[in-house]
Amino acid sequence: MPFTIITGDSFTSEGIGVKIPLPSSADYFKTWNITQLALTGTVCVGGEWFGPKFGVGASAVNDGLRSRKAGSSAILIDNFSTATASDGFTYVTTVPFVEAQSANAITSITAASPAVVTQTNTYSAGDILQFYNTTGMLQIAGMNFQISTVSGAGYTLIGLRAAGFAAAATAGFTRRISKMLAVEPQFLYITEITKATQAVVRTSVDPTAYYVVGMKVHFSIPASFGMYQMNQLTGKIVAMSSANYTMTVDIDSSAFTTFAFPASTLSPTATLFATLAPAGASTQLNPVTLVQTGYDFQFQPFRTGQFTPYLYLGAGSASPAGAANDVINWAAYKFEN
Amino acid sequence: MSTGITSIYNMGPELPLQASEDLLSTPMFNLIHSLGVDLHHAESYIGKTTRMSRFERLSTDGGQLDGSGIDPAAEVPVRTDIDATMEIFAKTIVTNEQVVLFENSKTLTKFTALLGQWLREKEDLLMRDLFASSVSYLNAVGGLNGDQPSNISLNDVNNIENILLGNDARSMLTSLEATREIGTIGVRDAFLALASTNLAADLQKVQGVVLKSAYPTQEGIRPEEYCSISRFRFFVSSKAAKTPGISLKGNTVYTIPMYGLEAAAKIEQNNYTAKIGYRPDWVVSSVAQNSQLYAKFAIARAITNQNWISGLNVTTFLPS
Repeated sequence: MPFTIITGDSFTSEGIGVKIPLPSSADYFKTWNITQLALTGTVCVGGEWFGPKFGVGASAVNDGLRSRKAGSSAILIDNFSTATASDGFTYVTTVPFVEAQSANAITSITAASPAVVTQTNTYSAGDILQFYNTTGMLQIAGMNFQISTVSGAGYTLIGLRAAGFAAAATAGFTRRISKMLAVEPQFLYITEITKATQAVVRTSVDPTAYYVVGMKVHFSIPASFGMYQMNQLTGKIVAMSSANYTMTVDIDSSAFTTFAFPASTLSPTATLFATLAPAGASTQLNPVTLVQTGYDFQFQPFRTGQFTPYLYLGAGSASPAGAANDVINWAAYKFEN
Repeated sequence: MSTGITSIYNMGPELPLQASEDLLSTPMFNLIHSLGVDLHHAESYIGKTTRMSRFERLSTDGGQLDGSGIDPAAEVPVRTDIDATMEIFAKTIVTNEQVVLFENSKTLTKFTALLGQWLREKEDLLMRDLFASSVSYLNAVGGLNGDQPSNISLNDVNNIENILLGNDARSMLTSLEATREIGTIGVRDAFLALASTNLAADLQKVQGVVLKSAYPTQEGIRPEEYCSISRFRFFVSSKAAKTPGISLKGNTVYTIPMYGLEAAAKIEQNNYTAKIGYRPDWVVSSVAQNSQLYAKFAIARAITNQNWISGLNVTTFLPS
């Protein structure tokens, strides 16, 4: 028996990359873009991925066979990596993992709030990118940021308010990484802390994907970030904002010194980075609303973050995960032995 | 040329090869990531999440009675709950009967040993991932390689000691008293540090390093231990956490968790810590030709006190 279909399903594309968990791995994987198959465009209508068992015939990282319409009912077959190169399939067995793309050069990061990155890219809103080798903004080299308002020419970093930076970045590189780390809750990079009776902490990614109200967080704030009084304190989250990438904690920072990134010119001798890490939870019952916090078992316990292995399907009209609203069918196959 | 002599040229060995008396060693990396973590046990039949709770200490502010008869303000104790979800991991090997029949090396026995090794290695990596994902680290800045983070230096190590001591962390290992043996030096009670084997050369260069060979005694010293720097004893593994290409210069960044007592925990599920089983061929295969070995274990993991764990992100002096 040459093949066995081990699992399959269907999803409606949101125009972003999709991870298909494959608990028993797979040797062959196929997608069909049901929406586009019925049309006569020139976009991807199907993809095929060949696993390591195919040896020299295995698909390369971020590649695979692509079937696309020729502007008629006829179908052309090429690779995702060939003309009109686009993201294909990537089989991932470990986390954190750089997904689907190799290093991608940026042109600039504005010293604005929020910062705006200029870069030719195929990223999707919500992707998390690792920034490194930046020029002009050395103090963020090594951090990761979640991106929004994405176009093919750039995107916005809600989590980086860089108006106080001395200069814009003029170069650098990014690579897309997993949104979930191997274990959750994960540590997060801090980019701003207000001086208030309840400090508002901004992180480089949307914290509501990892933390909930009632959880405690432990702060590691090097003196180079100014607000040294916050260092090694533990606070409880009392409010969160997905729109602003912030969490409010029950720490009175109103008399603390101002939080600020060290100047780029101080790199690499200024200690980096300001981070927060999970420190448990405290149960709290609000007698007015009768809302109890601190028992959200979806977020609170330490647990595996990103399940592996999985197959990453690149997004876009020329990729296996399709464009927004495309209906994608997929099936995973495995050798009998 | 025929000589009339019976030699190996006209009468080769009847058997072309023989197996040596034993198999060669199966490589195994150093298992360091469970060192010093607390071990807890979860009961069966009462859920998959284990809660570890800690009562935080009371404030020492005020408290003096002034003789007026007015009672001091009451304080509400705070309890912190650390939760961890139990997860199960498994590995299996399916073997055809012809392998068992023809192979010389008692394959099922060896495969069982391989699965046993997998159990411990997988557990080690899961604990490594916990340290890498859920702890705050500081970039080393005292090294001279010009990267961000830099290579490790004594100042960086001392900075972490300051953090742990400032948070009242307790050291893990007792001191090794000095002896009169030449070339040895006493070692202070210490916290633990877990590092990649790729950092070995850099560790040797840190000011004040005491290599393991210079300890006053080798009794009870684990083979995974490499050296002592300041108040930390460093253990190394080739599988320690690292992230390629994310330093300022695009080099690999290595993560070194450094911690004291009760900083992290590993929770084992009662009756599920290590299951190794065998499914006979008549169960696995319709014609009784394939049998199966499997190994399973359940584990939950947690950082139990962030005050008592910190660490460094470092690069190597020479790019790696």
